[in-house]
Amino acid sequence: MTDTKTLAYINMYAVLGTLENLCELVPEAAGVLKGKKPVSIGLEVKGGPAATLYFKNGKCRMEQGADKCDIKLPFSSPEKFNGLIDGTVTPIPSKGFTKIKFLLNEFTQLTNILTKYMRPEPEALEDEEFFKASTSLMLYTITVAVAQIANNDEIGKFSANHIVDGDIAILIKDGPGTTLRVKDHRVLAIKKPSENPRAVMEFDSMRLARDLFDGNVNAVACIGNGSIRMGGMISMIDNLNRLLDRVALYLA
Amino acid sequence: MAMKIYKHDKSREYFERAAKVVPSGVYGHLGPAEGCMIPVSSFPLFGASAKGSHFVDVDGNDYIDYMCAYGPNVLGYCDEEVDAAAIEQSKIANCTTSPSIKMIELAELMVDTVASADWAFFAKNGNDVTTAAVMAARAHTHKKKLIFINGFYHGVAPWTQKVDYPGIIPEDVSNNLYVDWNDFEALEKLVAANEGEIAAFISTPYLHGNFADNQLPADGYWQKVRKLCTDKGIVLIVDDVRCGFRLDLAGSDHYYGFEADLICFCKALANGWNVSCLCGKEFIKSSMSALSYTGSYWLSAVPFAAAIVCINKLKKLDAPKLFREKGLKLTDGFRAAAKNNGFDLVVSGEPALFYLRTANDDSLFLHQDWVQECVRRGIFITNHHNHFINAALTDEDINRSIEIAEDAFKAVKKKHPEL
Repeated sequence: MTDTKTLAYINMYAVLGTLENLCELVPEAAGVLKGKKPVSIGLEVKGGPAATLYFKNGKCRMEQGADKCDIKLPFSSPEKFNGLIDGTVTPIPSKGFTKIKFLLNEFTQLTNILTKYMRPEPEALEDEEFFKASTSLMLYTITVAVAQIANNDEIGKFSANHIVDGDIAILIKDGPGTTLRVKDHRVLAIKKPSENPRAVMEFDSMRLARDLFDGNVNAVACIGNGSIRMGGMISMIDNLNRLLDRVALYLA
Repeated sequence: MAMKIYKHDKSREYFERAAKVVPSGVYGHLGPAEGCMIPVSSFPLFGASAKGSHFVDVDGNDYIDYMCAYGPNVLGYCDEEVDAAAIEQSKIANCTTSPSIKMIELAELMVDTVASADWAFFAKNGNDVTTAAVMAARAHTHKKKLIFINGFYHGVAPWTQKVDYPGIIPEDVSNNLYVDWNDFEALEKLVAANEGEIAAFISTPYLHGNFADNQLPADGYWQKVRKLCTDKGIVLIVDDVRCGFRLDLAGSDHYYGFEADLICFCKALANGWNVSCLCGKEFIKSSMSALSYTGSYWLSAVPFAAAIVCINKLKKLDAPKLFREKGLKLTDGFRAAAKNNGFDLVVSGEPALFYLRTANDDSLFLHQDWVQECVRRGIFITNHHNHFINAALTDEDINRSIEIAEDAFKAVKKKHPEL
């Protein structure tokens, strides 16, 4: 009950897009880029998403479109692009052959670090800093994935069609927050908390957020015991929860 | 003197105990998540006793209850006449191999009471009879599609849910079509686009959905819908589970001046004793007879005995008139209390089932705050759902409720001096 095109959007913006936050939150990732010349990688999926990752001064930024980039990676289909993410497809650049070293070295190192944080070994989570960074990165990935599912997946679009305009704030107490901005049933993910939300869902702690992301606890039960606080337009939260159910399907 | 602010320590303790052995502690509409208890600490989670228009929670807090168990409390909790009939019947027979003749008596009473009814079919919950109605419509028409109103609620069976709900597969709802309330032109277009494929149009008598102001039918809407359904051979199902007998003892279709083909009742039938009822017209009776559709407890006699007394008492009291008067008095008082404190409280729907929204913001944050301040002072209302009036509600209850509403508005105002 998933589709490859939606998965491609999730892989592009929610998975690779989290490189932005990885470079901010994880010194090891910023270190990979230290002293390197600015470089950009464009990824263009036929019949799917197109985006460019800009790496500069130890930071990473993703922008829509792949027209202006140093290295360009075209993919003939969403399936091929999804293959890049699951490691079954080796990309062939159409542009930027002189900078391919970055792709093979630094970019690969960054995606390996990202995998380490997104699919952590249980013992790695015992380190408090790692735990916080990993959980924060999951929040960013999940938030962006919700938006992609709402805009692309057929069942996700059904959920989005029942969401009124406005911001939904997803907050972790004493931790990061994100926003899903809804306008005319299209959803935009913003990796910071809304200043004027129409609905709020707040997790009581990073630990609780982690347990929810890992599927170890249920949101409805947590609302009952007060460890998840909700407020505002609850119909927005209701439909957000339906979208979150689908995130688990795509990112499993 | 400052009003007492309730605490719910024992409710929390019981909830933790429940959560260990019951999924989500208390599930469904009576639970804190679906019940939109915001924040959950302000709400009782378990009741200890109930009488008339009040219930007492496990912490000993007394509430004037405007949710009425989400509808079933229609005469007042533990109505002595209804309960006496149930207890008396329980001494004779209840769930037996051959059903009691109480079934016939109740069916005759329903047919005599409900204007559009030629027969009555009994089950337990609203969902049982909305499902029966849809099955009968499909059996009668040999068509598969159903038209729903956006914002609908007709139960919990897979056909009543939406494609994005947990546990639902697209095939469960693939024959469901949707149209906006009161939009007859859109309905006509939808029918034309699915000509010859539609089994039924199912709707509540007015739009009493959650999280939004409730909407009454536009002038002539139901009459046009009735004609369209008749012309196109579509079975017209009225889901009167929530409104039934609170607007009109002859059915809410009668109240709005039309006749349903099938009409579903539940909440107000037996004052909390478990019985639901599908009534229908003669032309669809044989299709109903053909269904393979039954349940272990559907023909139990105790709820039938309770329902007979309940319905007769509702008639004696002219309950719909009473509900309307009490609802108007209460909501006029609430509105005035809001205005006194700079709030705009919007009251919508029928007075017997009033819906409330504080309109000073577009997010319901203020409304949720006011509702929880009310609950903490002793009136049980919700921030997302229509409310219910019961016949035991006294003028004293109403006056006390308005005092509490005013004090709660003052408390919210104190937190929001900018208003």
